[in-house]
Amino acid sequence: MGLKLKIKTPQKKERAFSKRFTRSRFGNFMYFFFLTAAGLFSVLPLIYAVATSFKPIDELLIFPPTFFVKRPTIVNYLSLPNLLSNLEVPLSRYIFNSLFVTVVTTIIYIIISAMAAFVLSKATFRGRNLIFLVIQFALMFNAYTLAVPQYLIVSGIKIIDTYLVYILPQLAATLGVFLMKQYIEGYVPDALLEAASIDGAGYYRIFWQIVMPVIRPAWLTVTLFSFRDVWAAIPNGTIFSEELKTLPQIVTQITAGGIARTGSAMAVTVIMMIPPIIVYLVSQSNVVEAMSSAGIKG
Amino acid sequence: MRKNKHRGIESLKSRYGLMFIAPWFLGFILFFAIPIIQSLLFSLSDVSLNNDGLATKFVGLQHYRYALLQSGAYTQTLGTAVTSLLYQLPIIVLISMVLALILNQKFRGRTFFRALFFLPVIIATGIVMDILFMTTGSMSDSTVNESLSGNMFDVSDIAAFLDLPAGISDYVEKAISNIFDLIWSSGIQTVLFIAGLQSVPTSLYEASKVEGATKWEEFWFITFPSLSQVTLLVMIYTMVEQFTSSRNPMIDSMYTLMKGGNYDETSAVLWFYFALVGIIMGILIWAYNRFLVKRWS
Repeated sequence: MGLKLKIKTPQKKERAFSKRFTRSRFGNFMYFFFLTAAGLFSVLPLIYAVATSFKPIDELLIFPPTFFVKRPTIVNYLSLPNLLSNLEVPLSRYIFNSLFVTVVTTIIYIIISAMAAFVLSKATFRGRNLIFLVIQFALMFNAYTLAVPQYLIVSGIKIIDTYLVYILPQLAATLGVFLMKQYIEGYVPDALLEAASIDGAGYYRIFWQIVMPVIRPAWLTVTLFSFRDVWAAIPNGTIFSEELKTLPQIVTQITAGGIARTGSAMAVTVIMMIPPIIVYLVSQSNVVEAMSSAGIKG
Repeated sequence: MRKNKHRGIESLKSRYGLMFIAPWFLGFILFFAIPIIQSLLFSLSDVSLNNDGLATKFVGLQHYRYALLQSGAYTQTLGTAVTSLLYQLPIIVLISMVLALILNQKFRGRTFFRALFFLPVIIATGIVMDILFMTTGSMSDSTVNESLSGNMFDVSDIAAFLDLPAGISDYVEKAISNIFDLIWSSGIQTVLFIAGLQSVPTSLYEASKVEGATKWEEFWFITFPSLSQVTLLVMIYTMVEQFTSSRNPMIDSMYTLMKGGNYDETSAVLWFYFALVGIIMGILIWAYNRFLVKRWS
């Protein structure tokens, strides 16, 4: 193909050029059309959720439901504290619990996984490949398979009804180790570590001052996923005290109240969407970079 | 593919290494390895609740036999799960590839659009997802859907007009009625494709430009073959995600079964399910490498 095209007359070239030009203009239109259509589809449910959270009760009951709100009201938000007043715990407590649990879990998870990823990618010991194989295998498993046995362990080590129920099981997740190991192998050369070691940096120093800054895109991405998962997690039958419950558990309680509670449920949902979005805005630019290393080994 | 052998730098003596890996490894053993073995044991025994907790009695493959041969419900749900994946997979791969191709170009507002398509990945988990899908209906007959696609065009009319075979028009109709679901499941795949596109050497494009290749040729002879590994990754990811999503009919029915206290049966069905998923994925990966990738390289 190449040879044939190489020997072209100037005339032909010009025509090819003009053809491409018009095509790309049409292409531009198609791009715009496709992006807008797909973009609409991806945000519409969100807009609908926000709109619904501002609907007064009579608009919520209209059938078929309307998309936009006609007379917006913030009554759904204002009534939230009252709705929960019979639960003896103020709404702020649930919000605090959610934030506390999510932030603490994510930080511990990142540090632990990064340390493991560092060792798995840079140290040699027997069974290293086996561990990595198991990690990939573990990525495939759904939480439901493990729910009951995990419950047995949680009750076995006597941490039921403590914050640890949220934190500890999450630490077994393997996505963080997987992503960060791939990233370290792609972006942290042995020579860099050797140089640091010759300059007298110890093990911890190398980890904190060299590895962690270099793999920043990877751990920011893992932060995003971890935050998202912990934020939405509902522990099964391991939390009983009302003052230890998190927002997702409240949402289930509110939705159990039927269709009249739709507005309140949407209001909590909208509140619940905000923190992950903030985390995303902070880590957003790094996601693509971190993902590119996920495919290194495929 | 990089296959570099790490000799490990001198300072990383195994003693320190062990210390570094220990916290994660402990958590992994305690909350993954032990539970997974336990659930395998559950699937092979009769589990009953008594005062001391759970009592197990080994019964061998009885639960597997029951679930597969005697109870027709599971095999039916399994069929639904597999067929729905078969129609989702190609569309998700197509949507995310096209999105990635567009989002990889330089244009104003690119960052905004990239963020837009990743948004569902961030917020659509667990309870938020359930609520969004519950209140907007099962999406196929939702308000949003009707006010958009329903008013703009009727799919079956178009299909009749174009005189398409029934199989294809069914497929298209199914895809359009689930368009939210499909676009919402394409976020991570799009990012993977963008990452893949960025790793294609620009020299290839420069060379093809010099030789006068059209955009179309550029796509088919450079971009598409270069993406073959990423495409495989995307396919694997999509399969894992769809098969283990809590909205998968199989997982959903298992969840209700588990809530009813039927731990042994649940474990058996789930183990069988994962084995089957593994086999299906294995076959697809093999077929992909055998029939598609070989041809390009």
